Amino acid sequence: MPPISQRALLIKTLKGNKISLVGGVMVILLVTVALIAPWVSPYNPVEQDIGVQLAPPSWAHPFGADSYGRDQLSRILWGSRVSLVVGILSVLFAMAAGIPIGMIGGFKGGRIDSLVLRFIDIFMSFPIVILGLLVLAIMGPGLLKIVIAIGVALTPRIARLARGSTLAIKGKEFIEAARAVGQNDGKIMLIHVLPNIFGDILVMGTLWVATAIIVEASLSFIGLGVRPPTPSWGAMIRDGLDQLTNAPWLSIFAGLAIFVSVFAFNLIADGLRDISDPKLRG
Amino acid sequence: MKISRYWLFLLVGVILVGIVLMSPVLAQEKMVRMALKASDIRSLDPHFGTTTIDYACIDPMFNGLVRFKPGDIDPDKIQPDLAERWERSKDGLVWTFYLRKGVKFHKGYGELTAEDVKFSLEKAANKATSGFAADYSALDKVEVIDKYTVRLTFKSAIPSVLGILTNYHGGYIVSKKAVEERGDKFKFDPIGTGPFMLSEYVPKEKVAEVRNPDYFRGKAKLDRIEFWFMPDASSREMAFRNNEIDIVEGEREQAWVNKMRQVPGTTMEIFGPGELLVLFFNTTKKPLDDIRVRKAMSYAINVKELMTFLGPDVTEKLVSPIPMDYLGGTDKVPHYEFNPTKTKQLLAEAGYPKGFDLPMVMTEMSDYRRPMEQIQEQLRRVGINLKMDVITHSAYHEQIRKDVDPLVLYVCARFPVADSLLTQFYYSKSIVGTPTAITNFSHYNKIDDLIEKARVETDPNKQKALWAEAQVKIMEDAVAVPLCITKFVFAKKNYVDLGYDLKSTLTLSPNINETTDIRKK
Amino acid sequence: MLKYTIRRIVLVLPTLWAVVTVVFFLIRIVPGGPAVAALGSYATEESIKELEKKMGLDRPILVQYGSFLKDLCRGELGKSLITNKPLSAEIAKALPYTLDLTFGGMLIGIVLGIPIGILTAVKRNRLPDYVGRILSLVGISMPEFYLGILLMFIFSIKLGIFPVLGGGNFNVLSSRLYHLALPALTLGLIMTAFISRMVRSSMLNVLREDYVRTARAKGLHERVVIYKHALRNALIPTVTVIGIYMSILMGGSVLTEIIFSRPGLGKMMVFAVKDRDYIALQSVIIVFSSFVFLFNLLTDLLYGIIDPRIEYR
Repeated sequence: MPPISQRALLIKTLKGNKISLVGGVMVILLVTVALIAPWVSPYNPVEQDIGVQLAPPSWAHPFGADSYGRDQLSRILWGSRVSLVVGILSVLFAMAAGIPIGMIGGFKGGRIDSLVLRFIDIFMSFPIVILGLLVLAIMGPGLLKIVIAIGVALTPRIARLARGSTLAIKGKEFIEAARAVGQNDGKIMLIHVLPNIFGDILVMGTLWVATAIIVEASLSFIGLGVRPPTPSWGAMIRDGLDQLTNAPWLSIFAGLAIFVSVFAFNLIADGLRDISDPKLRG
Repeated sequence: MKISRYWLFLLVGVILVGIVLMSPVLAQEKMVRMALKASDIRSLDPHFGTTTIDYACIDPMFNGLVRFKPGDIDPDKIQPDLAERWERSKDGLVWTFYLRKGVKFHKGYGELTAEDVKFSLEKAANKATSGFAADYSALDKVEVIDKYTVRLTFKSAIPSVLGILTNYHGGYIVSKKAVEERGDKFKFDPIGTGPFMLSEYVPKEKVAEVRNPDYFRGKAKLDRIEFWFMPDASSREMAFRNNEIDIVEGEREQAWVNKMRQVPGTTMEIFGPGELLVLFFNTTKKPLDDIRVRKAMSYAINVKELMTFLGPDVTEKLVSPIPMDYLGGTDKVPHYEFNPTKTKQLLAEAGYPKGFDLPMVMTEMSDYRRPMEQIQEQLRRVGINLKMDVITHSAYHEQIRKDVDPLVLYVCARFPVADSLLTQFYYSKSIVGTPTAITNFSHYNKIDDLIEKARVETDPNKQKALWAEAQVKIMEDAVAVPLCITKFVFAKKNYVDLGYDLKSTLTLSPNINETTDIRKK
Repeated sequence: MLKYTIRRIVLVLPTLWAVVTVVFFLIRIVPGGPAVAALGSYATEESIKELEKKMGLDRPILVQYGSFLKDLCRGELGKSLITNKPLSAEIAKALPYTLDLTFGGMLIGIVLGIPIGILTAVKRNRLPDYVGRILSLVGISMPEFYLGILLMFIFSIKLGIFPVLGGGNFNVLSSRLYHLALPALTLGLIMTAFISRMVRSSMLNVLREDYVRTARAKGLHERVVIYKHALRNALIPTVTVIGIYMSILMGGSVLTEIIFSRPGLGKMMVFAVKDRDYIALQSVIIVFSSFVFLFNLLTDLLYGIIDPRIEYR
């Protein structure tokens, strides 16, 4: 059956494709850091030490300390947990909401499809950050709410992707065959369409995780992110911005952390795309 | 021949161009540009302006019957402004003001007369046309005796009559003709008598004012003032460094002060009255309904650490809910000196040996949020975990008035008389969630009689004693924790000479008036 | 062609209306009203209610919606709830700055991105390609506000070359460009990364095509092959993508405007949400969405012109 061998092909080429390998390693590192942060951090990330306010990088504080005297290195390590959790969960949310919407619209066509298209158009005309900001403003702050906010903002984009992929295979033979056999729409979508479009969506999914991480940082940067004193890379950049002239390391390291994480996911996405598009191989 | 003529024309042309380019340098306007921490003004109508940016723009354009001595809010130093002199009746209920003659309103709106004063005060006392009407509730009537004489009659005695007639809040005198003519437009195009008048207002960008050529104290030294709205701390700072701004509102923290001191040619202006930081306990929310818990938290808070965090240059001690330099303030009140051991004891007694969790909302505005994050850390150390939701400043002010949150941090300055703070924060009629609510977050109702008695007390010593008693009770009942006073912090270029000594001002920013000047660079 | 254009514009209108309606109702669910934003720390219960009445916020929500739509049809964008000044003027002032930023960023993206894309495609799998691809990966991974901060740090703070304050005087070209430089560069560099990748991949596709092979077989000079034949075809998908990217750019302007303190629609949107200025948010989003739709439409039409295979019924 197509899906299984596709997966096997994926893994095999993944191992051979240097780019996504590097990306994969970076992401695994990132996840590891996020998991072991509580044990590896030299300090408690929320502990304030007024004596070292805005201390520059030193042996005691390799990334310096922020305006409350909190160790930056520990905060960056812990911040990875927030970024990853928000990044991955919000994309999962968007997939859970967007795939059904796009798939049903693409498959059923007609008026339902118009409705779906209309829905996608409406919500895509908002910049992601603004939509996220609106949703957050309604629901209030908090980790879960941010996941929902970003998830809602990403849903139309994933829906559009799912719809496009569905349209692409709608006319294919095995779909016709299934219909001929008498399977109802729901079953066809679940058993035949979904596994086939999932590959495309997964590739884009990794890209969207990268976007979600940036959006979380943007929202925290605007000032409405996770609850203090929870470390968040975006909030750290914002706090660091006020000290850019006298303590630039604060923003620079926090931003670097975001950049590296996003870079890792983009590497994987690139590698995956190289694989799935046979014309570009070799 | 032809060639040399061309050269002649060229030479003339170059000289002309040179003169044209030079003239901006020669005819350089004397201008002060101030950047403030706001995204926009709310209103230039002095009876509605309530934020720092509003005050800054309003102050140069208006006068009151009397004014604070520039740079000093000591109520004893209040000076004549639009009124040359005044008389008060023996019972203090009737005040007669004799106005200066020949004071002109901006842009040809005529001379200031008693009619304008009557109109202005009545506007200030009217809820529909003023945000400060409550200050004038004791005002009975305003009468025009003659063109330059006004008589005010009060229903009952109030702690400071001159206080509500200064160049602050409702005391600013507006042009009757202009208000009647402009109606709603007055809010963004006001007319007053001050040394400067409005030139332009660009939403979300700036307010520009120019010299009022008819000002009664003489023409201002400056040609122009610009107030720029720059909510972003880093942009403000960089604009100042790049000499695009001459006076900049700063962060009220030592780090900022130290940083800006390094910028060459800079003078720090750190002045009062400062804003009080007070943490209020909502005594109707568990576990804060138990006085032991409230006392435990009071002992857990290390004010010294907070003041070190914010910075010694920027903070002043606050031991009582009313600051020492407010009329009626005292430091002879019960005090909860930092003592985590006592905290643990009291918490255990009250049934919370391991501490507890407490939700609260916090505004993203740094003046509130940063001290609160420090306190959050202090409380965390004794096992009290504050779950802080950071929301926008406007949402914050709405939320805290809903009587939902157990803890409320408030930062403010009020007219420097004990009554203003006591009434707004500790008087039972002001309890949040009630129709007459102001900002009594703690639901405190045990000093109503003291407040009411003090208001009408004519003997100043007896009055002060009543106020002192009220403060003692507040501290005994531990309904609030006075944290500290944070002064206002501005950085100013050395070439700006304010023209007076800035110690304190209710405008919350360095006042620009007719004496302000630019020294030769 | 004209019929197609008109039909597309008409189709867009209901979506625009839906966007406006969604925003209208969404933001009214948001806690914290504009009255409190306006009054700040002096807000008493009474004064809040008074101000809300003045703002017309105590009317039933459908009445408010109706009056809003009526104003919109008249071309009136309403008045800001906070400043009570007409929004059309404010938006008209901010819009040119956002457009400057969007076009400036796109221009830089195109001018730098296309040559880099061609280079990396032509020199595939050799050093320039690897360098180019890594740089472009860096570009798309860089959050725009971080890049903006870095550029600001290097050029404004350390080197003092570029200013920090706002957008400059729009009417004075030198000031306008001077203040546009860093923000446009921030977005432009990121755009360069996106565009160069797009150009690269479509060039690679095209270079495989039969007609290219034929051109080479004919003995044509390599440069002619690339520029005359391959590039034109490679640019077609790039053009479609540019339309989408324009919208992304406009979205990216939000944070860039905030960091550089530049006037613009993005900044207006953020502040409108923060201040709960419902009317301002609605109006700004209407204008913003209109431009997004406009860009999409232009891209569609452009695509139709460039690609001879497309016909418009």
